Amino acid sequence: MIRTQIVKSILDNVTFLFLCALVAQTSVAADGSRVRIRGSAKDGYQLYVNEEHFVIRGVGGTSHIELLSSCGGNAIRTWDAASAEKKVDGKSLLDHAYDKNIFVTVGLWLGHERHGFRYDDPNSITQQRDEVVNAIKRLKNHPALLCWGLGNEMEGPDGKGDSVQIWKEVNTLASLVKKHDPDHPVMTVVANVNDAKLATIKKYAPLIDILGVNVYSGSVGMDKTLRDLGWEKPYCVSEYGPPGPWEVASTTWKAPLEPSSRSKASTYFAATSSILDATSKDGTQVGQKYCLGGYAFLWGHKQETTATWFGMLLPTGEKTLVVDAMTKAWTGSWPRNRAPILQSNRITFAGKRVGPGEILDAHVEYRDPDSDDLSYIWEIVKESTDRKIGGDAEKRPDIIESRVIDGSGSDQIRIQAPQKTGGYRLFVTVRDGHGSGCSENWPFFVSP
Amino acid sequence: MRNSGMIQKLNRMKLRWCVLLVLVAVLSSVKSDLLAQDFGDSKSSTLVTKAWEALAAGEHDNVTAYTKKCCELYQDEAKKQQSSLSDFAGGDDDTIHSYWALNDVGTILFIQGESLSQQGKSSEAVEAYKSLVDDYGFCQCWDPQGWFWKPSEAAVAKIKELDFDAQLDD
Repeated sequence: MIRTQIVKSILDNVTFLFLCALVAQTSVAADGSRVRIRGSAKDGYQLYVNEEHFVIRGVGGTSHIELLSSCGGNAIRTWDAASAEKKVDGKSLLDHAYDKNIFVTVGLWLGHERHGFRYDDPNSITQQRDEVVNAIKRLKNHPALLCWGLGNEMEGPDGKGDSVQIWKEVNTLASLVKKHDPDHPVMTVVANVNDAKLATIKKYAPLIDILGVNVYSGSVGMDKTLRDLGWEKPYCVSEYGPPGPWEVASTTWKAPLEPSSRSKASTYFAATSSILDATSKDGTQVGQKYCLGGYAFLWGHKQETTATWFGMLLPTGEKTLVVDAMTKAWTGSWPRNRAPILQSNRITFAGKRVGPGEILDAHVEYRDPDSDDLSYIWEIVKESTDRKIGGDAEKRPDIIESRVIDGSGSDQIRIQAPQKTGGYRLFVTVRDGHGSGCSENWPFFVSP
Repeated sequence: MRNSGMIQKLNRMKLRWCVLLVLVAVLSSVKSDLLAQDFGDSKSSTLVTKAWEALAAGEHDNVTAYTKKCCELYQDEAKKQQSSLSDFAGGDDDTIHSYWALNDVGTILFIQGESLSQQGKSSEAVEAYKSLVDDYGFCQCWDPQGWFWKPSEAAVAKIKELDFDAQLDD
């Protein structure tokens, strides 16, 4: 009898919880976000989320939502739908974002010809359309959804990007998105712009609502560039950051020189300020502002020439000086805990050739604005030989077991160069023990 | 007597060596000045090319010398060309190249800004960038990859970056 009552009670509770979950689910569906673009080419454009003016202070990435929120960010962008749905700690990225009042541009990945996708193959096209529509059906009612990011650089990172076939298909997909979800704008994302690319998009993909432009060195002048090229619809800087490895000077052995953490921070700040300057501040239609905001790249870390080039966070999750710069640009204030700032360095072998096993001396000086004690990790890493284009995944090169002669863990080190001929980089990673850090590297070449 | 003669002879030798050393030093310094003053055919495009090369080699004094020379010879024409425009010159490549003085003086000021920035001379770098933006804002620079870029837009970014960098030390 008692057992029966216990079982009944459990069943009642389970039923109750199930119904609660169902109601919550229905409530999310019913409360899906409603996003509109208002304005015109003559007056400028503004984005409205649930009737409130919204300037995108965003990043590209899939994690660390709480940190983003605390830094003044309000949006995140993924490159595919799976990243937005993937569950971490029992919740999807969209759910985590919703909890922190962050909005998500969900990427709808479109095939790239350089990866083998064929825009002239009916089967591939049909499959891709099905995948896009299914993702929209699954996610369109989520309250954290901001926009659909239809493709990313599928026109190719180099060349003119004016394939009529690709842009016609993008237009077809945009019409499908709108048919299934009229409440969220469609953005397509290109690798920089040129006149041929923009002319083709205007002619063959007129259903696109927002042009997302991935641009690094030229991000500050993007507003003027687009106007000069005759773009008259809303746009967004969908990726920006430091000058890419393809845009900087290299050593004689073709190792691109990664900007310092300090230089990167300045670049992000300047780019973010320019993007915000190009947006309408308060929703008034003054000044013909076409920009809706931007997404800094990358909220996280990845191997692209080096493990630190584009990462705004260290692989261990600490925020870098770049994040402080973004916070300053977004909010006008510094974050509560600040990252160490490089003051000077003495790396006499940087960019040079050294002998096998040669003793190398390196010294860095950092200032921590909060006077935190800093820890230092020095590593020698092989120069990457797995270099790709368009952000394709690269293999991280090996860390070399190096003989530290003196100074491990401090701001200066005496270390022995590897014996094997080849390109290397000396990395230093500095942490303040309170969630901030930074990293620098200097290439050198070992030859007898 | 014999010793005193020897000493005098030694002193004379020392003096000759000193004079020789001074001469070598003077000549070598003159030679390096002469090298720095190698303006080629002094065309604005030549000076810009040399300034880029000097920047890449970290020869900052030479960057300054080429910049000064280019401005001295071509700034009047560059300002005239700038004032004839109300926006960046458009049209075909030849049309844009026809603003050669404006394009080269503006570009060389950008190079000078880069050079000063690399030397940590932030306020002087900002001055160079501002001069470019204010006086030669419509200059364009041909990129060998096949397009024109706008040094004044890059200079605006550099000024913002230097302003922010200064805040880091506050």
